[in-house]
Amino acid sequence: MSRTTGAEPTAGTVTWPPRWVQPTALVLAVLGLADSVYLTFEHYTGSKTLACSSGGLFNCHAVTTSDYAYLPVGSGVPVALLGLLFFIGITALCLPQLWDRSRGIDLLRLLALGVGVLMVLWLVYVELFKLSQICPYCTGVHVITVVLFGVVAVAEALRPLPVER
Amino acid sequence: MAQRTAKQRRADNTRQAKLAQLKAAERRRRARIWSVFGVIGVIVVIVLIMVGVKLGTGSDNGGPVSNTAAGKVVKKVTSVPASAYATVGAGSLAKGPIAINGGDAITKDGKPEVLYVGAEYCPFCAAERWAVVAALSRFGTWSGVGTTASSSHDYAPDTPTLSFHGADYSSDYISFAGYETEDRDQQPLDTLPSDDQKILQKYDAPPYVDQSSAGSIPFVYYGGKYFSNGASFDPMLLKDMTHAQVATAMHDPSSDVAKAVDGTANSITAAVCKLTDDKPANVCTAPGVKAGAGKLQPAS
Repeated sequence: MSRTTGAEPTAGTVTWPPRWVQPTALVLAVLGLADSVYLTFEHYTGSKTLACSSGGLFNCHAVTTSDYAYLPVGSGVPVALLGLLFFIGITALCLPQLWDRSRGIDLLRLLALGVGVLMVLWLVYVELFKLSQICPYCTGVHVITVVLFGVVAVAEALRPLPVER
Repeated sequence: MAQRTAKQRRADNTRQAKLAQLKAAERRRRARIWSVFGVIGVIVVIVLIMVGVKLGTGSDNGGPVSNTAAGKVVKKVTSVPASAYATVGAGSLAKGPIAINGGDAITKDGKPEVLYVGAEYCPFCAAERWAVVAALSRFGTWSGVGTTASSSHDYAPDTPTLSFHGADYSSDYISFAGYETEDRDQQPLDTLPSDDQKILQKYDAPPYVDQSSAGSIPFVYYGGKYFSNGASFDPMLLKDMTHAQVATAMHDPSSDVAKAVDGTANSITAAVCKLTDDKPANVCTAPGVKAGAGKLQPAS
């Protein structure tokens, strides 16, 4: 689906997005989707734990069943479900057919991932300072979100600029 | 010749202008790329700062610490009137200790042993200790029980509680072994002897508990007949309370604290009565204990 950008004259013959971007973004989005499916399953099937893990810092069950597993905290929508919906949307936006289809879709992809990164920062804060527990599967989603944001942002930065007439 | 030179000059000028535009566009593109790396760098730095701050705040600030001058609090906790226990019954307790079929009967000094394993940092242990101390005080006498609080950096931070580290218990009916494996700063504290460690490894694991909560604390083992894994109520119930306020609330059967703590104590008492052949009778036949027995869970 890579193509030269629109009708505007561009700098040289650079194509956008670069060939590596689409498969990389799609693979990351699918990995994030699979991870968030697991976390949603864990959230709905795990009973709320009132115990401290002897496993120390790493305890997915404690994280996904804590009060902070909801937004707003303690009630509301499960964060795991929000993550699942997020990655369903991101996977759709990373389908090859939707790259460079319209400027709006490309910006929506970047904006959504930017919001995702802010959410990641909040969740890392909660894990470290509110729960003192780290969920490795959550960390997987966090890393994927940040890397995917980086891929999409770099792709946007590589978009050829129109040459001034 | 002069005309060709003029044409050449115009062509050169056009090429140079085009080249300058391309160079300017390339400069803008590079600036955008560096901006993106800058944003990604900021994200990474924020995460690293959070990890660094977390690692650097291992020690708690403020909050109560273990001491042996907790006499008033312990006295209050161990003198909850029978009428309060009777009124509360099972209180807000959802599930009491779980029965074990054919469990290893552990004894100490010829008496069935109640084994407690927890840690001072753990907020769920903090909640459960109040009920354990209250329940066992109906069978014997505590000494050296200290006051402390759970970690300042965990769920339900600074939950006020008691500590079994350095505590002694004497009873005509049962023995007690309590271990706080880590302090508030999650530094090693008590070490379990191998026989108690074996009990922990066997019964705080599948098939007795879910794989997801295997090894969790607090873990209480009632002489091979019952066990519990986890707290009986949410430590957030004790949020912002002092030790004295918790102890006082345990005497008021209408309080949420009494419904949770006394209710749990009644169920623990019922489990201990299974070890003592319902002795002492005045304790094991008390209405609150009978209500607590109704929350004991069958073996799974």
